[in-house]
Amino acid sequence: MTTTTPSPVYYARRFNEYMAELWRRRDFVWFLARGNIKARNASTVLGLAWWVLNPLLLGFVYFFIFGLIFPTQRDIAYLLSGIFVFHYSSQSMSGGANSIIGNSKLLVNIRFPRLILPIAFLLESTFGFLASLVVLYLIVIPFADVIPGPSILWLLVALPLQIVFNLGLAAATARLAVPFRDITNLIPYLTRIWLYMSPIIWPLSMLESVSETFQGLFRLNPMFPIIAVYRTALLGYPLAQADLVAMVAWCLAIGVIGVAMFIKFEGRMVRYL
Amino acid sequence: MSAPAIKVENVWVRFRPYVDRRPTLRRSLATFRHKETQLVEALKGVSFEVQKGEAFGVVGQNGAGKSTLLRVMARTLRPDEGRVVVRGRMSTLLQLGVGFNAQLSGSRNIYLGGLVAGLNKKQVDERYDEIVEYSELGDAIYRPMKTYSSGMFSRLAFAVAMHLDPEILLLDEVLAVGDEGFKEKSMATMHELLDRSGSIVFVSHAVRQLADFCDRAAWLDEGRVRAIGEAHGVVEEYREFVQRRRKELRAQGLA
Ligand SMILES: Nc1ncnc2c1ncn2[C@@H]1O[C@H](COP(=O)(O)OP(=O)(O)OP(=O)(O)O)[C@@H](O)[C@H]1O
Ligand SMILES: [Mg+2]
Repeated sequence: MTTTTPSPVYYARRFNEYMAELWRRRDFVWFLARGNIKARNASTVLGLAWWVLNPLLLGFVYFFIFGLIFPTQRDIAYLLSGIFVFHYSSQSMSGGANSIIGNSKLLVNIRFPRLILPIAFLLESTFGFLASLVVLYLIVIPFADVIPGPSILWLLVALPLQIVFNLGLAAATARLAVPFRDITNLIPYLTRIWLYMSPIIWPLSMLESVSETFQGLFRLNPMFPIIAVYRTALLGYPLAQADLVAMVAWCLAIGVIGVAMFIKFEGRMVRYL
Repeated sequence: MSAPAIKVENVWVRFRPYVDRRPTLRRSLATFRHKETQLVEALKGVSFEVQKGEAFGVVGQNGAGKSTLLRVMARTLRPDEGRVVVRGRMSTLLQLGVGFNAQLSGSRNIYLGGLVAGLNKKQVDERYDEIVEYSELGDAIYRPMKTYSSGMFSRLAFAVAMHLDPEILLLDEVLAVGDEGFKEKSMATMHELLDRSGSIVFVSHAVRQLADFCDRAAWLDEGRVRAIGEAHGVVEEYREFVQRRRKELRAQGLA
């Protein structure tokens, strides 16, 4: 085994070598994701129950605010499906950045493809998302008369696409936040604006009351088609082909751009840690 | 002679730290106009080779660039100029506790440490018992590592590193905290590695021990190789320099 430096991609000279190395280390990714869970379980009383409690509390808080106090959205199935899908993506921003910043010691001292860290975070948050979908059904089946139908098979399309989207998002955020730490402070605000721009706390019918250009602007939000496709899968909403196309395009674009940004930066990353 | 295990060629490393080493958006924008970065040249054209079967020591004062050099050799830090060629599987112990999660038990951390270093789960399974036995941690292996003393940490870290079947081992100060018994044991293990024609690069401020252990050594001074060669000679030269410096400083203090 011979390795030399420098190289365009610091870890490996070629993209396919990089991917092969990632695959070779899949046990590490898996362990890292599970290790995080275990560590959390060891230090909290409720342990694994938090995977269910977190989305439940989140859903409760939003239903309290936007269903009861400012009743903009009383359709709990619509609200919760949106919240959970949104949360899964939005947390990959801070999670991606923290996976690098919080592991600086590891990065400075040990050589491995850095993308492993955001991927492990993503895997961990995927467990959480799946748990939140269970919570969703526990609430909406009795309280909103939603019965999951065959449309749930659309999850097999939506979930892999969102994983790609989230990976891109996590990687891009890490790329930007490592040299510019201010960004980590901005993330909560960006997340909030993004939430208000997404069809979650307001009904889709609200869009009809605004001008065409404004509508177009709202539809530029990648969360718009993503949530729409999920609502088809989870709640049996009719599927608009335009949404499906837009979701595929957004997810692939963000995934590719984010990962490329990250890998290109990887060689310089330790200098900012 | 066979090809060297590590070849370091004209390596330059420059850091451009901002005021507090953490560039922020505002400061970066400010420095956009007038570049106000302080230039630190940690390594200034360092070249040397480490042969197979050789223990190579690196000595030098605080801030001389030893850790930076090891990071370049471990290829976690890309040099600004020059290159490093490595032949062989490398295991690194550059900082204590790296690759471990203190919340998790020692036992789980054996897996974590092995996986971080590039083994798969099956390979760690095969080595697990030997690692536990080697570390001599007994039942403490099931306790969270945050309850470990620094010596216990270093035992486990070294045990894992040596069971990765390294052909090259990089060590930065990490064995200093082990007790006498473990020091002897780790020395013996490292000699075995050398006998198998493995290579070791060793950074330590315990220069006498370093000279006894290493075949050759380099003295780094402000990012440059000041002397290189047989370990005792280089270490002696370094010690004389340090003593001369201290005398000069003392004389200045008196003047
Ligand atoms: N990330 C960094 N950013 C800026 N400067 C750095 C960075 N890392 C190291 N340096 C500088 O590079 C120089 C060499 O540091 P290095 O850690 O290699 O020294 P060392 O020889 O290991 O010292 P010690 O004996 O104290 O461990 C020092 O001046 C240090 O301040
Ligand atoms: Mg050092």
